[in-house]
Amino acid sequence: MSRDLRIAVIDKNPLRAAILEEGLRAAGHMSVTHIDDTADLLDRIHAIDPDVILIDLESPSRDVLEQMFKMSRSVARPIAMFVDRSDAGMIDAAIDAGVSAYIVDGLRSDRVKPILDTTISRFNAFAKLKKELETAKSQLEDRKAIDRAKALVMRAKSIPEERAYALMRQVAMNEGKKIAEVARSIITAAELLG
Amino acid sequence: MTQRLRIGYVPLTDAALLHVVKAQNLTAEYGLDIELIAESSWANIRDKLVAGHFDAAHMLAPAAIAVSLGIGQIEAPLMAPVALGLNGNAFTVSKALFEALLREAEGDMSDPRVTARALARIVARRREKAEPPLTFGHVFPFSSHHYQLRLWLRAGHIDPDEDVRLVVVPPPFMAETLRKGQLDGFCVGAPWNSVAVAAGAGIILHQGTDIVQDCPEKVLAFRTEWARSHKEEAGSLVEAIGGASRWASSPSNRNALVTLLTATAGQDVPAATIERILGYPASPSASPLVATGLRFDEEAIKASPIQALWLYTQMVAAGQIAYSDAFAEAAAAVYEPDSSGPPIPDTAAGPAVFDTPAFSANDIPSYLASLKATGPSR
Repeated sequence: MSRDLRIAVIDKNPLRAAILEEGLRAAGHMSVTHIDDTADLLDRIHAIDPDVILIDLESPSRDVLEQMFKMSRSVARPIAMFVDRSDAGMIDAAIDAGVSAYIVDGLRSDRVKPILDTTISRFNAFAKLKKELETAKSQLEDRKAIDRAKALVMRAKSIPEERAYALMRQVAMNEGKKIAEVARSIITAAELLG
Repeated sequence: MTQRLRIGYVPLTDAALLHVVKAQNLTAEYGLDIELIAESSWANIRDKLVAGHFDAAHMLAPAAIAVSLGIGQIEAPLMAPVALGLNGNAFTVSKALFEALLREAEGDMSDPRVTARALARIVARRREKAEPPLTFGHVFPFSSHHYQLRLWLRAGHIDPDEDVRLVVVPPPFMAETLRKGQLDGFCVGAPWNSVAVAAGAGIILHQGTDIVQDCPEKVLAFRTEWARSHKEEAGSLVEAIGGASRWASSPSNRNALVTLLTATAGQDVPAATIERILGYPASPSASPLVATGLRFDEEAIKASPIQALWLYTQMVAAGQIAYSDAFAEAAAAVYEPDSSGPPIPDTAAGPAVFDTPAFSANDIPSYLASLKATGPSR
């Protein structure tokens, strides 16, 4: 059994990094270090001496990593971007997920591939989670706006709740809008006129 | 319906012509539909262009050549039928290094030979005292910024690989890294030198044009295979860049250009700073934020193969690739003239470096030898 690979994760998002770290540990990789601050990046990497570096594509520090495959003085072992020439879809999937991987020279592709697969799936899972959270948040905000607008309509027209809601829904249908948009217009109008 | 083209760029002043195409509605005039996508690294630009996530990209000219020659992590044939401008870089140094250079300088500090020799004395003294080497930042291994630093160092007989440390620092971190003393100086494009000066982090020592007159900078790069199979779209985009160049060069559009570049700068840069970066209005009180020599005129966007050869030669001098006629030909081929437009005439001379003989495309090995002769003395 070859020794455990040392993995460095460069990601500004601590939650995503934690999700990835957990996934890598579940796959048996115990030596994972998260780097969140990209100041002194080369020194940090030098200290960790990783076999694999995983970096968030939004990080401008990707360009710092680009010089390492030649910088023998700052980094003990030359590092190159991980490109599996037998798998054309790999770069594509990594870009879609928003991550890139660098490996020390000579590391076998079959040892790195599962790590990148885990990384891509965790990044995608995080993006999905984030999207769901945003949807839930916007639904909650819609709900609040509708309730507030309903109360305004009830008061202005002295009508019960169900009628106020039915009225708003009718306007939304007539104008081809979402009921939440109508609700926001009512709130804006009430703020202007009130 | 025209196909929507996805174009990647890094938010820098020299992405100007792409913004002009979009903001001046040249897309309609040239039958284009484009989406501009801001990226945070040159590595992302390269990967997304090569993987087909972008149809075209604002790319460092040497990076496009490196990818085509197979020395930039990924190998893929790229072509750059049009450039996006010339110049725009500058060297900014820490106040401490500036003062040390002032003390050592024998002559005019605006002369890069004078500052390079002064730097050599500082470097030698640090070595004697066993102090850590000076560290200079640039933006990417394959960048004119990197090569401009090396050319300056060579003029002082300073070995760029042994006597100092050259490191890549993302431009948004340059000023801060300089202030913290982790960098002693850097070469970066507009507006980042002005940003560092405004933040009080450093002093502009030289403009890029002091080192290289009309230095090739960014190009509009395509995957060769895509550009060949989408001749119409690629050709229209190249023509639109020509239209943007004419618009941007017209004095009557200056104010509009400044407003546009201020809005697209990606960070807080005052309009007055953008004006000075562009060299107008010529104000005697403009120093030290002087004009960068950034050019967007029609001469400046010609992707002349001799520029590609010159950049390839700089890669060889930097030890990034060996010299061979086959590589030289492949590098020149990246700057393939736009087949749909008028033929681009070859400028006779390559970019002129302050301290080396004129570049001749016919005899690169002897040019390289002369670079070595002016290089490290040890």
